[in-house]
Amino acid sequence: MALVVADDPTVAASRGTQATAVLPATAQDTQSPAQARCPSDLAIDIRNVSYAYEGETEDVLRNVSLAVREGEFVLILGPSGCGKSTLLQLLNGTIPHTLKGRLEGDASVCGKAVLATKIASFATEVGMVFQDPDAQIINTRVRDEVCFGLENLCRPAAEIVERQREALDFVGMDGFGDRSIFDLSGGQKQRVSIAAVLAARPRLLVLDEPTANLDPAGMAEIFAVLERLNREAGTTIVMVEHRVDELADRVSRVLMMDRGCIVFDGTPREAFSQRRSAHSEENAVVPASAWFPQACEFALALGDRLGIPVDAASMPLDVDEAVAFAAHWLDAPGATTPPPAAPSSRSSAADRPAFLRVHELSFGYEKNQPILSEISFSLGRGEMIALCGRNGSGKTTLARLLMHINAPAHGMIWLDNKDVADLGAREISAEIGYVFQNPDHQFVTDRVWDEIAYGLKVRNYADNAIEERVGEVLDIVDLKRYRDRSPFSLSLGERRRLSVATMLVLEPHLLVLDEPTIGQDHERARQLMGLMARLRERYRTTVLMITHDVRLVAEWADRALVISGGRLLFDGIPAAMFANDRLIADAGLLTPPIYEISKALAAKYPDSPLQPTLSLHELADSIGHIGARTA
Amino acid sequence: MSRSTAFQFRAGSSFFHHLDPLTKLVWLLAISFLAFGAYIAWVQAVITIAVLFTAFVLARLSFTTVFRSTWLFAVACLSFLVIQTLTLPGSHVAFRVFGYPIYAESADYALASALRIYTIILSSLVFVRTTDPRELAIALVTQMKVPYRIAYAFFIALRIIPTIEEEIKLIRAAQSVRGVVRERSVAGRISETKRYAMPLLVGSLRKASMMVMSMEARAFGAYPQRTFVDAPRISASGIAVCTVMLALVITWYTALALGYVHSFYVLSA
Repeated sequence: MALVVADDPTVAASRGTQATAVLPATAQDTQSPAQARCPSDLAIDIRNVSYAYEGETEDVLRNVSLAVREGEFVLILGPSGCGKSTLLQLLNGTIPHTLKGRLEGDASVCGKAVLATKIASFATEVGMVFQDPDAQIINTRVRDEVCFGLENLCRPAAEIVERQREALDFVGMDGFGDRSIFDLSGGQKQRVSIAAVLAARPRLLVLDEPTANLDPAGMAEIFAVLERLNREAGTTIVMVEHRVDELADRVSRVLMMDRGCIVFDGTPREAFSQRRSAHSEENAVVPASAWFPQACEFALALGDRLGIPVDAASMPLDVDEAVAFAAHWLDAPGATTPPPAAPSSRSSAADRPAFLRVHELSFGYEKNQPILSEISFSLGRGEMIALCGRNGSGKTTLARLLMHINAPAHGMIWLDNKDVADLGAREISAEIGYVFQNPDHQFVTDRVWDEIAYGLKVRNYADNAIEERVGEVLDIVDLKRYRDRSPFSLSLGERRRLSVATMLVLEPHLLVLDEPTIGQDHERARQLMGLMARLRERYRTTVLMITHDVRLVAEWADRALVISGGRLLFDGIPAAMFANDRLIADAGLLTPPIYEISKALAAKYPDSPLQPTLSLHELADSIGHIGARTA
Repeated sequence: MSRSTAFQFRAGSSFFHHLDPLTKLVWLLAISFLAFGAYIAWVQAVITIAVLFTAFVLARLSFTTVFRSTWLFAVACLSFLVIQTLTLPGSHVAFRVFGYPIYAESADYALASALRIYTIILSSLVFVRTTDPRELAIALVTQMKVPYRIAYAFFIALRIIPTIEEEIKLIRAAQSVRGVVRERSVAGRISETKRYAMPLLVGSLRKASMMVMSMEARAFGAYPQRTFVDAPRISASGIAVCTVMLALVITWYTALALGYVHSFYVLSA
């Protein structure tokens, strides 16, 4: 393990002399002109910063200026590759000390100039939490992980033990000290990661998509801890996240980035009352790629129906505010009963003949620890199904059994009336395509074109047939211009589309997608799901999505399967799933805000035909109809 | 999600779990010295029984654990025993199998060698199952004065082995759904390795750089020394174990040197 050491001369000088001392009590060696001019309540003061990674010519950050006051809770949004993670790495000196490159402009954090301060000196000021808990947790026992930073800072053992206890207590993991990291859930691991930086009592907490790998229950745990930290301890928080529904009402400020620039900076209400635009060259334009809270999307849609612009002051950020926003129109004098909502166009599963049947499937690695027990269901052509459940509930295992990557202990799987156990890997993969969560794992060649052709080649297709089909698929996934590039050189969104394309080319009847929207911005997620919808239209492909994303389920799925503790708890339409409070709690799911909003409105206006719905536009249409008369 | 590896630390409360890592290291080394110092079957048998006693009683490993982790080695040792017994030269015929002579010397030597290999595997299992790699790393720093950066490098290497194993399994599964069939030929194996290498390398580099950032952000490497909360210390029972083991090794090798015992089977007659 090579640890790159800060190469600043003042750092080198201070190193050897402070063998057993605590962190330098004074920041003398880190004082800079920037500090002299920055007001003391500024946690972050960045002026005209541009940065390019070592060996790269293009700037990742372009003339960025940002001032964050102590106690703010800042959410940074933006598409993949916009420079948001790079900006975070600047905040504790990882850039430029570990990740070297060309840095221009002034940056000071907690009163210390980044350029002149070693990373270790930021350890007591800035806490960094990253996306992948397995990569950032160094130790194997919870207690050791929380003590790690203070041990490195040579603090006395008694103090470390006390701080460790406090930090674990704060994140609600009192009593977990002796547990092994490997026995914790994803949400618990991320809380340990937060406790591990809290032990040093930082003034600024920086988080890079901390909940991307977590189920909704784990995500809620993290956001609750962060809110408490910000409100009670006054810690400044800067966070990159895609999950805006649960954050919009908790943060005090939203930054939107695009192509290395901050293109929007304002309150959440201001941010989400803007129109999304594909072009963001000028300032104060919200990029099309940004996720908006559903409450805001609903208000914007309703505003459209009523022909009234929604200003920042009245923009709702959460369910309660959205209900009040809608009630304003429903309560207006002259409001009449809206017409019954049009029935959803999604068809139910019942009318489709099954082509894949799963009968009493059980599986486990250890005899007494079943991962799946007696799972039975069938899939019809052209269905779009969401497979939901907590992390570790057995969703991925089930999908792997379908592909016969693992063999079930009991039960049968029939694919077009053939037992999957009797089919070879190539026969199954011609029928079922499986897009793994990490597209990199599936690439087997050095070139995009070869990658798509691979499945056809191993099945001995004729050269001209291969040429034709690869060309067609490259068009569908919009990757033709990269046909000669290495798959690993593409962006995450492109790699994911390529991984879908490699499956698509075999025209499978079933496509399994493992967490298709993780880490994807709004536009890319829509593109991918739009692609799935087109496949369904064109080839009647069945799509099975393993997902935690309740908005994805609400918007796209026409059927949901819920697994909890290895058992199939639910099989039915998503609306029925979200209506079942106990099921939602048991499976660690959340309901999408639009469902909560429509449910609250239906309860508030029992005489109206308003009903709980998953369609934002359906609800906006129903209410807009009355509003148009009263506006 | 998947079955965990047998040669991996598991927390426990046995006598051996409570010993400090260095004492266990001394025990492991002493067993190895004794095993290599004795080519006589009955001495090896005594050592094997002692290690089995340690595994079942002092480390409280279950019979299933020991069987599962070592059966493959046991089979190898057994075939080693048969081959050596049949092929090594000797002068005293102990008995005959289907008229084929089995010599006392070769049988004894073969049994000793087979037991030696098994003893070493078994003692390593006891050591690995009862010793937290992190504690071992800390003991190396606090008791053996190894620089902590080196000790942590060693610890992290052990810590990420299971992660890499998982990743390889995942890549294999991910590629199998592409229609990649496992190859048997040498050339096929090489191209298969190449296919795994790229995703594994990309993933590992990403993880490693994340680990570096996570460690540096928490001041790892900032000072020449660091505090260790709960550094393992040698206990009275640890001192006793070390003393007994050292005494045994010294006694055996002194006896060998003075000719009181022989490292090879010597017929008295």
